[in-house]
Amino acid sequence: MNKRKIVSKLFISIFTLFTIISLVLPFSNAKAEEKTYIIATDVTFAPFEFQDENGDFVGIDMDLLKAIAEDQGFKYQVRPLGFNAAVQALEAKQVDAVIAGMSITDERKLKFDFSDPYFDSGVIMAVDEDNNKVSSYEDLKGERVAVKTGTEGAAFAQSIQDKYGFKVVTFDDSANMYEDVKTGNSIACFDDYPVLAYGVKQGNGLKIVTDKESGSSYGFAVAKGENAELLQMFNDGLSNLKASGEYQKILDKYLETGDEEADSGFFGLLKESFPSLMSGLKMTIILTVVSLVAATILGVIFGLFQVSNKKLLRAIATIYVDIFRGTPLLVQAFFIYFGIPAALDIRITAVVAGIITLSLNAGAYIAEIVRGGIQSVDKGQMEASRSLGLPYRKAMSKVVLPQAIRIMIPSFINQFVITLKDTSILSIIGINELTQSGKIIIARNLESFQMWLIVGIIYFIIIMILTKVSNHLERRIKHGEN
Amino acid sequence: MEKISVKNLKKNFGDLEVLKSISLDVHEGEVICIIGPSGSGKSTFLRCLNLLEEVTEGEVIVHGVNLTDKNIDINKVRENIGMVFQHFNLFPHLTVLENITLAPVELKKATKEEAKEAALKLLERVGLKDKAEVKPDQLSGGQKQRVAIARALAMKPDIMLFDEPTSALDPEMVGEVLAVMKQLAEEGMTMVIVTHEMGFAREVADRVIFMDGGYIVEQGTPEEIFGNPQNERTKDFLNKVL
Repeated sequence: MNKRKIVSKLFISIFTLFTIISLVLPFSNAKAEEKTYIIATDVTFAPFEFQDENGDFVGIDMDLLKAIAEDQGFKYQVRPLGFNAAVQALEAKQVDAVIAGMSITDERKLKFDFSDPYFDSGVIMAVDEDNNKVSSYEDLKGERVAVKTGTEGAAFAQSIQDKYGFKVVTFDDSANMYEDVKTGNSIACFDDYPVLAYGVKQGNGLKIVTDKESGSSYGFAVAKGENAELLQMFNDGLSNLKASGEYQKILDKYLETGDEEADSGFFGLLKESFPSLMSGLKMTIILTVVSLVAATILGVIFGLFQVSNKKLLRAIATIYVDIFRGTPLLVQAFFIYFGIPAALDIRITAVVAGIITLSLNAGAYIAEIVRGGIQSVDKGQMEASRSLGLPYRKAMSKVVLPQAIRIMIPSFINQFVITLKDTSILSIIGINELTQSGKIIIARNLESFQMWLIVGIIYFIIIMILTKVSNHLERRIKHGEN
Repeated sequence: MEKISVKNLKKNFGDLEVLKSISLDVHEGEVICIIGPSGSGKSTFLRCLNLLEEVTEGEVIVHGVNLTDKNIDINKVRENIGMVFQHFNLFPHLTVLENITLAPVELKKATKEEAKEAALKLLERVGLKDKAEVKPDQLSGGQKQRVAIARALAMKPDIMLFDEPTSALDPEMVGEVLAVMKQLAEEGMTMVIVTHEMGFAREVADRVIFMDGGYIVEQGTPEEIFGNPQNERTKDFLNKVL
């Protein structure tokens, strides 16, 4: 019968879609001759890694890596993912190595192989520059103290929190942690010495009040048992740089220079950050457009499944919609970017993982919009069509869908706006879209308030334009056919 | 020979038995009116004749094709059975002309030009030639139902099913629709009509069926049913509506 034909056609469409997706995915085997090493790093860990005004990644880690690669003659590509994402990506073997001001700890040694230490760090405490009450750990009793996840500062603060009776709150990047102290939510923060010292020099409004607690050392890490040759080259290069004096020059460049004054007025910031923000915006728009096209295809297919009279198709669609509506987008992004590649031993880029995540997520919502639209068309329309001898598919495409689409348009526009905003969540897997661009700029200049204002305004303008264009289109469709 | 032959038809909605064993033969050119109180299963019975409702048990044979057989192409059967609904069910996004030509063109029964020509003739027959280019929402109820009849006729069916075709109409519009149906009956169309219009049934029907509680309680010529009903329930019903 004809229904069977429709079902098989739908399945063919889905298979085609997945085939296309899998062809587009740049799968690559873990080993390849003459390889370019993928090295993950943090985005917000000045002075070890941050973007300068030209959008280039600089810092102690970056400069060291560059010098060592030149010395040893290997090719690499830096992927600024954020600290947590970088560590997870290394565990999932999505990247070959991590250099991110990472302390060498026994716990991490279980999963990673570390190079010789390339920097000896330590922990210091800072408070607001106007705060004259807190000058030692004893003064922290009953207060909130900010730390950055996974840093030595965080470990140290946690080790003494019971002794001195304070509460620890964790942040994902340094700029937010400093901001929390500036606003008075936290009384003090603990951070790695070079980072905090750099921040204070940049004018983050804090001051250092304790002596450096001696801490562990930073190392370059590869996954346990992998990339031994890379580790060896790093160690060899490092000792060559130390011997030649190049190593000390790099450290001095970031820790000894008096800082030049940047223009921190609103328009000065806007002008300075505009190129980075625009390239972030471009990525945001690419993510949105590609994901929405895929999501619309998925949504229409699964929406039709949901109104099918075949139990199996309805069940498939219901499971799909329930899973993607029933879990947070953030978790889906982590699962697709870190979980699946680790389980299947494949590699996908963050952008591809981001597009897959958004497509599947928005597809589930669009499936519901399509189902709702079709079901809001009077049942008599389908009956009248079928009574004339029209097969189900023709009745659906010629009679029901043209009426349903008009009902769906406002919900579609709404979903487009939501998906555009959801791209900001993908900054968490290190995609350099608009929000991530903002984070990166703030890591350098520490101007949270003004930068988030600028980023917010850009989103607002883009969404206003999208809404106006959509409304115009909606009116034209309604007038054109009615 | 019989156009439609129904044998021991049963239809359940879940636990509810709506049709409890119905048998009926309809001859070529016969006009049958089905009357009865609401909830008696009249409409459900009619909708079983083109399988808009799935049959729970029994047989429905149309032109010798058993509709309960899973291997038949129901779309082919439906092409020969026109249906007119209580609420018209015109396609609101299409013009009157497009409503009529959609099925013949999509099912490759005619080219666009042929279908258009045939549709205009049908519209002339139902007195609505000047409305060809308007959308259904600009028509009155009576006009909508006449377009719906023209739409069903465009597939050149030899059986027409009418499901309470005048129930949703204002009283002054009932006549124009019944006139079209009467003309169709006079031309020899095989028709099964569920209706509350007793006057029409009396005038046009070859046979009147009285249904109640999922059974055919009584049947006969209009003179027998309206003039001399035998069953108490038939008498009771006719006393209430006449």
